[in-house]
Amino acid sequence: MEDTAFDTVVTTHHGEIFRYLRRLSWRLGEADDLSQETFLRAYRAWAGLAPDANVRAWLFTIATNVYRNHVRSERRRYAAHATVRTTRRELELDGPEEEAMAGEMKTLTEAAIRRLPLKQRLAFTLRKLHELDYEAIGQSIECSPESARAHVFQALRKIRTTLNGHVQPLRESTR
Amino acid sequence: MTSKPRVCVAIEPDLVAAATGEAEAPAAERVETHVASCPSCRDDFARYRAIDSAVGALRATAPPPGDADTARERLIARLADLRPRILGYRVFPSSLGPILIARSEHGVALVEYLPREGVSASRLFRMAGVEAREDRGDLERLERELLEYLDGRRRQLNWPLDFRGARSEFERAVLEATAAVPYGAVSSYTGIAGEIGKPSAVRAVAQALRHNPLPIVVPCHRIVGASGDLIGYAGDRLSLKEQLLGLEGVPTQPSHASKIARRALYHYEPNPSREYCLPTCGDIARRPIGLLFSRREQAEARGLVPCTTCHPELHPLPE
Repeated sequence: MEDTAFDTVVTTHHGEIFRYLRRLSWRLGEADDLSQETFLRAYRAWAGLAPDANVRAWLFTIATNVYRNHVRSERRRYAAHATVRTTRRELELDGPEEEAMAGEMKTLTEAAIRRLPLKQRLAFTLRKLHELDYEAIGQSIECSPESARAHVFQALRKIRTTLNGHVQPLRESTR
Repeated sequence: MTSKPRVCVAIEPDLVAAATGEAEAPAAERVETHVASCPSCRDDFARYRAIDSAVGALRATAPPPGDADTARERLIARLADLRPRILGYRVFPSSLGPILIARSEHGVALVEYLPREGVSASRLFRMAGVEAREDRGDLERLERELLEYLDGRRRQLNWPLDFRGARSEFERAVLEATAAVPYGAVSSYTGIAGEIGKPSAVRAVAQALRHNPLPIVVPCHRIVGASGDLIGYAGDRLSLKEQLLGLEGVPTQPSHASKIARRALYHYEPNPSREYCLPTCGDIARRPIGLLFSRREQAEARGLVPCTTCHPELHPLPE
C-alpha cells in the first residue's frame, strides 16, 4: 500500500523536481542522475515521513541536498574550473524571430542566474522558478526564512548588476 | 559616480520587492510614490521589472518532455527493483531430485535443486527483499511443464522470467546470452564471454553461471569448458549436467562421460559469413568451443549457413 502511495508521489512531483534539477545542472544526464538519486533517497525515507508533511517542499529539500553534494564532489574534481561558460546551445533556447529580444533577455538572465553563488542560486531558483515559500526554502538550504529571503534579494541585485548595460529597462508602456 | 540620496538607499529593498512581486501593499505604494518623482529609481525599478519578466519567461520554459519521461521510466524501474517482492513457491519431486520453483508477478524467479537439508535451506529464504509464500496451486502448470521437459516430452519452457535476482547487469547479460543457446546445442564459457562482448571475462562468466537462479530454464548445463569438459554444475552435481545434456541428445565421449564428444557435433565459431562446419574442418575441433550443434537444423534455425569448404550439408554427421 505504501508503495502505491509512493507511486503517486513520483507521478505528481517527478516532472517538477526534474525541471528544478535540470535548471541547476549543466548536462541533461546530470539532471537524470540527480533526480534518480533524489527519489531513491525519498523512497528510503518515505516510511518515516510525517503524514501531514508537505511532500513537495520535502522533495525540494532532498533534491537541493543531492545537488549540493553533487556540486561539492564536482568541485573537488574540477577544482581548476573556476570560470563558467554558458553557450546558447547549453541553454537550449531558440525563440522565434519576433521573440528574439525577449529571448535574448531570457538567455542573459539565465546566464546571470548560473553565475550566482550557490546558496543565492538555489534560493532564487526555488523562489522565482518554483514559487516555494520562504519557510520551505529555508528548510532546503538550511537557514531561516529571513535569510532565505535575503539570499533571493541579493541574487536579484547581482543579476541586475550583471545585466547592467546589456538590458534596456522595461518601461511601463511595454508591460 | 555620485552616491545615492539617503531616501533612495532606504527605499531600495522595497523597490526590489515591489518590482518583483514580493512587496506588501503599503511598501508597494511607498515605492510607487517615490519613483514618480525620482528618475534614477524609476530606471532601477524598470530594470528589475525587466528581470522579473525574463524570469517569468524562464519559469514558463519547460524542458523537452521526452527528457523527463526517460528519467521517470528509469526511476520507476529502479524503484521496482528495490521493492520487497512476494514470491510464491512450490516444491515437487523429479527425476533429478526435489525441485523448488518460485515466481513473482513478473515471472519465474528461482528454480532450485533442493539441498539435502530440505526446503528450509533453500536460497529463496536468503534472497534480499523477498517475501516467500507457499503456493496454492498457481505453480502447478510450471511443475507439469518442467516434469514434461525432464521426461523429454517437451523441448522448451516458454516462461516469463524475472531476472531481478541477478546480482549485476553483467550477470543478467550472461544469463540472457545463455538462455539463447538452443536445445541440443552446447556453448562454452569462452563462447558466452565473446557473445556478451567481454571476451576476457571467462572466469566471471563461469562465476555468474554458478549463481544462475534459473537452472534448466536458463540452460547453464549447455555451457561447458573450452575443450568440452562438463565442469561445474549445481555445486558438485555434475551427473545432473550429464543427464540434462543426454536428454537433449548431446553426445558425450564413450570412454569419458563428462566430456562432450566434439567429433560428433557441428561446430560454429563467430565468422563474418556465419558458416558452420563439420568437426573435421581444419583444426576447428581442437580450438576453444564457440557453439556446437547436434543437428544441422539447429544451426540453420539460428541463421547459420553450411561452410563452403567442408560442406556439412553434403556430408552430414550420423544421427
